[in-house]
Amino acid sequence: MSRRTELLKGTLDLLILRTLALEPRHGLAIAERIEQITRGTFVVKPGSLFPALHRLEQEGFIAGAWGESADGRRVKTYHLASAGRRQLEREKRQWDRIVFAMGRVLASG
Amino acid sequence: MSLASRLASLGKTLFRRRRLEADLDDELRGYLEELARKKRAGGLAPDEARRAAAIAMGGLESVKEETRDARIGADLEAAMRDVRYAWRSLWRSPGFAIATILTLGLGIGANTAIFSLVDAMLLSPLPYRDSTRLVFVWSDMSEAGYPRAPISGPELADLRRRARLFSGFGAIWANSAALTGEGDPEQLRVGLVTTDFFQVLGAEPALGRTFRAGDDAADAPSTIVLSDALWRRRFGADPHAVGRRVSYGGEPATIIGVMPDSFRLLLPPDSAVPDDLQAWATFWPKMTEDPRGQQFLRVVGRMKPGVTLAQGKSEIDGIAARISREFPEYGAAGRRFDAVGLHADGVREIRPVLLALFGGVAILLLITCVNVAGLLAARAASRRHEISLRIALGAGRGRLFRQCLAEGLVLSLLGAAAGVAIARGMLAVLFAARPESLRRIAAARIDLRVLVFAASIAILWGLLMSLAPLAEVLRAAPIANLKRGGNPTASPVRAFLVAVQTALSVVLVVGAGLVARTFSRIHGVDPGFRPDHALSFRLALPPARYGKPEAFNAFSRRFEEGLRGLPGVVAAAAVSHLPFDHIPNWGGPYLAKAAASGAPAPMADYRAVTPGFFAAVGARLVAGREFTEADDEKSRPVVIVDERLARLVWGGESPLGKTLRVDPRSSGQPEVPATVVGVVRHLRHRSLLEDVREQVYFAQRQIRRNPVAYVVRGTGEPGALAAPVRKLVADLDPQLPVSEARPLEDYLTDARGSQRFAMILAAAFAAAAMLLSAIGLYGVVAYSVAQRRREFGVRLALGALPKQVRALVLRQGARVAAAGLVFGIPAAVVTARLLRSQLFGVTPGDPLSYAGAIALLTLTALSASWFAARRAASASALEALKVE
Repeated sequence: MSRRTELLKGTLDLLILRTLALEPRHGLAIAERIEQITRGTFVVKPGSLFPALHRLEQEGFIAGAWGESADGRRVKTYHLASAGRRQLEREKRQWDRIVFAMGRVLASG
Repeated sequence: MSLASRLASLGKTLFRRRRLEADLDDELRGYLEELARKKRAGGLAPDEARRAAAIAMGGLESVKEETRDARIGADLEAAMRDVRYAWRSLWRSPGFAIATILTLGLGIGANTAIFSLVDAMLLSPLPYRDSTRLVFVWSDMSEAGYPRAPISGPELADLRRRARLFSGFGAIWANSAALTGEGDPEQLRVGLVTTDFFQVLGAEPALGRTFRAGDDAADAPSTIVLSDALWRRRFGADPHAVGRRVSYGGEPATIIGVMPDSFRLLLPPDSAVPDDLQAWATFWPKMTEDPRGQQFLRVVGRMKPGVTLAQGKSEIDGIAARISREFPEYGAAGRRFDAVGLHADGVREIRPVLLALFGGVAILLLITCVNVAGLLAARAASRRHEISLRIALGAGRGRLFRQCLAEGLVLSLLGAAAGVAIARGMLAVLFAARPESLRRIAAARIDLRVLVFAASIAILWGLLMSLAPLAEVLRAAPIANLKRGGNPTASPVRAFLVAVQTALSVVLVVGAGLVARTFSRIHGVDPGFRPDHALSFRLALPPARYGKPEAFNAFSRRFEEGLRGLPGVVAAAAVSHLPFDHIPNWGGPYLAKAAASGAPAPMADYRAVTPGFFAAVGARLVAGREFTEADDEKSRPVVIVDERLARLVWGGESPLGKTLRVDPRSSGQPEVPATVVGVVRHLRHRSLLEDVREQVYFAQRQIRRNPVAYVVRGTGEPGALAAPVRKLVADLDPQLPVSEARPLEDYLTDARGSQRFAMILAAAFAAAAMLLSAIGLYGVVAYSVAQRRREFGVRLALGALPKQVRALVLRQGARVAAAGLVFGIPAAVVTARLLRSQLFGVTPGDPLSYAGAIALLTLTALSASWFAARRAASASALEALKVE
């Protein structure tokens, strides 16, 4: 648990977009997927997850659709919109640049 | 993201809020249940699983809150939510809401009303073209006791000819004249003006034209300009009235123009030019060639663009210095002019009154706000439990702060709305009660500027008022407050506020006391005549028929005899000026010995009276006799002087039979020798507060002044004499209009008007302040009684007497009141000094006013606490413990 890392500002958006690029998921599934892929480094709490989801939805990068779960509850599933796909590419390139730049800084010592 | 979709999102956020809320709730609950399901699958018991899921969730409400905040338009939506919340919570306690809104409404309303007066009188420019370039020119005769005297025709010509920095000088003199033909004869208030007067002033007619050069030539036809009011009333707003011929002052004249409804003549109040003149005509031909000593012109000058008041003033001073050297008439003293800004001079007297009023209402507003802040703080304290609960449930303090602000603002804006309504009512009352000197307040309107003012004070106070409950929120420690029903100590913030409020009330009550004492002193002044049971009216005898002294005197004698013969009439006589009327003053120099070398002759007020005048007006003759019918145009001139002149000139000697040189025909020099036949007590006819100047009374049979005022003393209601008087006039001369028939007392009432007005306002402020501080004090004591009810119950159960519990509470109230007095009295001392110029017959340190204020406030404080104390003494231990 101590290895959990504070999410960098803006990182969460990238993680959500990337997760949804594979397949549509609902909120808990997104959080679990991020935790699982990062091996528990990033734990996304509902207090960060839902504000991010709603903001991305309003910006048109992802879209939510109400469906029904196996036990008959209303479930909101999010999928990546085409604007989100482009945004994901942009954010990826941005991230690569940061990683590259940070790497050079750290290696230069 | 495009603007359109942003707007769509914003719209959705704002207008489909209910739907969004339901969706959010479903989504988060779904998350929670799914998480719980997983935990159960992981081997936890159902209860355990739900608990673990809830912990992981970290507070459903706070997640919702944060999600909402992420939405577009979230700030706006949150603000609306806060406002709605504030609205609902006010709706739930209507008593509190109404009390608060009315209290605030009173404070904001009083401020708005007074601000609209200040705006209309002091801030708005005069309604003339480039009005900042206008100056008023007085003749400064301070040595003769006349610092603000009018100017003569030749002096006007000097100004026009020699001034380079001015584009023009216009002059006016108020008079009256009869309008006859087409309906009843009517006496008009007219302004005689130079032909360029309206151009200099920068005022345009609504119809036709104003005067132009040559209209005052001896051979030019007579022309008049009408006021809007006269045009509507007398000519039915006929657009073809221009060009019609009427009979004006007994002569035919042509109407050449009509001034607009908005036109007001806003000259200084002591220029004796009323702002509601009904018509304008030109001066007699060659007025600028009259004698230099004939000063009657009220002169307005217009400076050229770019000229400062100081430059204009110094040029006019220079002209005065030059004519002083050139004309021997001025003697060694010479002539001095005083040029002053027209606007500033017009509000010279009212300015300190308005600023004092503004100060008064500002204090009142402060008190109302302190009071409301106290109410809000008490409310917040009583809701501390609720607030703590909400903090425990995850509501951020920022959010609570915002809600306090929203509540303060909603209250103060509602208060402002109530205030504007109250201000309208107040202005209507002020207009109705306004004294003569405040006529111009009729220009006050609730316009956009005034509304902006009301809204800004509302917002400012809304923010400040919210500070008190915010302090309560900060004090709210969730755990401590949830463990027991609240903190029993009284709020020190509130006690402080109430002490401040009491201090401010002391200031207002002392101020009101001083103003009331001033008024009673003024009321007690003996004006030197008896205004009761006397009717006064005015007649203007047309020169065409009454120009000859014989004709004038014959009519006067017959008419006065007729008046004395009316049933119920005790005495009747005529005079050139009534005490405290508004026609231009008449005065001139006097000398007891042949012209002393160089020194200017002292000035006296002149009046012309008929035999029996002093008896009719109720003045006291100290020595000698009244005029008789023998003192007429054929006999040697005689005068009656007032005690003041007699004392100044002859000291202890008897003035009877002595010769006084006077100037009844305004030649500028005291050339006419007259014999003193009587001495009368000084009549205060221009100022109630002081003996302004010496008085010389002429025999009207010798010195005729037109129009003539009459005083008819009866035994009953003076108004009842008006009808028989009118009939008598109509029998003698059906063409003569009777004007201004009103009880003599009215003039005195008007003269006391501005003080009465100030007293009413000050008393209203003080009463409101007292009431508010009583409410505030009661609130703070009652609140602490409610908090300590259990303690009192226990005390009583342990054997304390109700008397002792009451004393405990009374002491608390007394402490707060005493703190208020300790701070209030020094503050009142400072404020009273500022009022000094408005006081008469009392010093700013008047002990009675202070003693009264202290007694009144102590009484108020004790009675407010007494009511609260009675509740405390009725507490029973059992009941108090059950509540917990």
